[in-house]
Amino acid sequence: MGGLFLYRRADSDILLGAFQHGIRQGVEIGRKRRYSQMTENANLVPFRFMDCSLLTTSTGLRVQSLRELRAALPAAPVSSIYYHFWGRMLRPHIAESEYNNDFASWADSALGDAELAEELSAINAADCSGLEEVRAVLEDILDAHLDRGDFLSWKKGDREFHFIACTKLMFDTGREVSSLRDFIEAVRTTSLQSFFHHYIDGRRRSAEGKDDFTAWLEQFGAGTERLRTSLQSVDTYLFSLGELKTQVVSILGRFSRGGGAENA
Amino acid sequence: MPDMIARYAEVVGPHTMDSLKIIADMLRGKRIVHVNSTKEGGGVAEILSSMVPLSRALGLDVSWEVIEGNPEFFACTKTLHNSLQGMPGGLSEGQVEAYAETSRLNALRLGGTLEDADYVFIHDPQPAALLGLLPGRRGKWIWRCHIDVSSPNRSVWRFVKKHVEGYDASIFSLPDFAQPLPHTQCLITPSIDPLSDKNIPLQKGEAERVYGELGVPLDKPVVLQVSRFDRFKDPLGVIESFRIARKHVDLRLVLAGGGATDDPESGAVLDEVQRAAAQDPDIHVLVLPPDAHRTINALQTGAAVVMQKSTKEGFGLTVTEALWKKKPVIGGDVGGIRLQIINRFNGFRVRSPEGAAMRIRYLLAHRWKRERMGVNARQYVLENFLITGQLRRYLSLLIALDSPGGEWERWI
Repeated sequence: MGGLFLYRRADSDILLGAFQHGIRQGVEIGRKRRYSQMTENANLVPFRFMDCSLLTTSTGLRVQSLRELRAALPAAPVSSIYYHFWGRMLRPHIAESEYNNDFASWADSALGDAELAEELSAINAADCSGLEEVRAVLEDILDAHLDRGDFLSWKKGDREFHFIACTKLMFDTGREVSSLRDFIEAVRTTSLQSFFHHYIDGRRRSAEGKDDFTAWLEQFGAGTERLRTSLQSVDTYLFSLGELKTQVVSILGRFSRGGGAENA
Repeated sequence: MPDMIARYAEVVGPHTMDSLKIIADMLRGKRIVHVNSTKEGGGVAEILSSMVPLSRALGLDVSWEVIEGNPEFFACTKTLHNSLQGMPGGLSEGQVEAYAETSRLNALRLGGTLEDADYVFIHDPQPAALLGLLPGRRGKWIWRCHIDVSSPNRSVWRFVKKHVEGYDASIFSLPDFAQPLPHTQCLITPSIDPLSDKNIPLQKGEAERVYGELGVPLDKPVVLQVSRFDRFKDPLGVIESFRIARKHVDLRLVLAGGGATDDPESGAVLDEVQRAAAQDPDIHVLVLPPDAHRTINALQTGAAVVMQKSTKEGFGLTVTEALWKKKPVIGGDVGGIRLQIINRFNGFRVRSPEGAAMRIRYLLAHRWKRERMGVNARQYVLENFLITGQLRRYLSLLIALDSPGGEWERWI
């Protein structure tokens, strides 16, 4: 089962290909190739759709106060940081949520500390170099808040913060497309989990903060520049996963109706 | 694609079913067995009634076994259930003996099937002791706890823990319910089946006809609670809420439920409810058989407001069912109801009969908001609490149990 799996490193753009039984074979796509003569399908690197399933698990770590949260944070597994920032997209939540991560939501709903909630919600996790950096930023904010001492030292017992860990299982759907037209239709019909993997989580995996769709579209050169800008400008924090997918499909649809799929 | 899969695809989308099929294919040839304590009545039996056929339609080898027990055993497991939800008291010596003896007899009866299985799901505490009685087992065993065990009676929890700590994994509905155990504890919410009799769209006029057959006039708005006659569902609190609200708005209350074969206490609670409702022509207490799924569907469809004023709740599938039918729900601020009801988005969470009465009045006075919340309610269930999603998570757990490596991001 061959195919291409998009993956990027900090130093260069790389398309890691021929994903088969967990073995990834790197195929570098030179800039020259990406930005010229990409209109012929034979030269295109196909997009291979992956899917994922997020299995959530209890860590047993639960805290009641801000001090307890700060004390427990270093012990939380790294997947827990991931879950409380990204995993929320794959579980019951509504787009109208005021905050973009669970720490901020809890600070407001359980501690009644709206100021802290706003500070925590301002963390743009996708800008961090990794999950440990997200943890460090969280710790810094909590330390600063605790130093100021303007927080509640008590709270009700039934509003604990539970650190939840997760295992992200990723698998190959076997679905591969080469043309822009097929790509647009495939994004429309791919599962929400697959969409999450490529579009939301892709930004985290990318050193440049690019989702997998945008990275793949680069090979079409200037013809897809505006499309890529549109895809990258969607604020993923403000919508539910279903709404995000609808929005991305709409952007792709507008591009297609404008003749972009044929002209790129 | 088999017909059943196509029907689910019409509800959740073909891409969701395609994705589920890929996951199911990874477990093809594996033998999976579910074990619980009743074929009818209660959320577990309903979930399995849908999950087992759906799993088979996806090509999986799945069976469902039910343990057998005498009234003494079920009295014991009801005490277990209540105590795990925090009620004081404990097991008598006789009950402990009944539990051990019934478990032994069921191990003899089901041993061959269970020891040969690749994966065994044991649902709730009733069959939990089977693991310790089948040392020849070769597969992975998962204990699925559907109960709110956030604040259990500690002595009873120790009794249950002794039986479940040997499992390969356990599943709880919410993080609040997870208890210290020496294995992976997964968090997976239960779900409803959009194609079951309880949840399919009804023919036009069917709800009105069923209300008529049950002797409940639809001359004024109906507030409904559907649940077992169980103290934790607080049916008396619902009656109190209704009586407070009725001082301001004309309405009817329907309390509909039945007992499960593994719940010996429901008769006593029903007596209390009937006494409290006596002589009140606007309160209708309906005792329904365990298979009255379409009747419950009609009751929920025809109600103006649905309540689930539980004081303890593992998850509250009746909440999910009502949300699916575009009904805003007024629910107790406990357990799984907290995950399902978001204040003002698809219902209200309340902590007292007075609070519930206020929300009844609000919803009946604001028709447009009620309808808007109903639309949100259905979409929320579609995205989060359907059987296809729950099965996907169960199958993912099985795959994870067999996939080596400790990395949290894994290719399978």
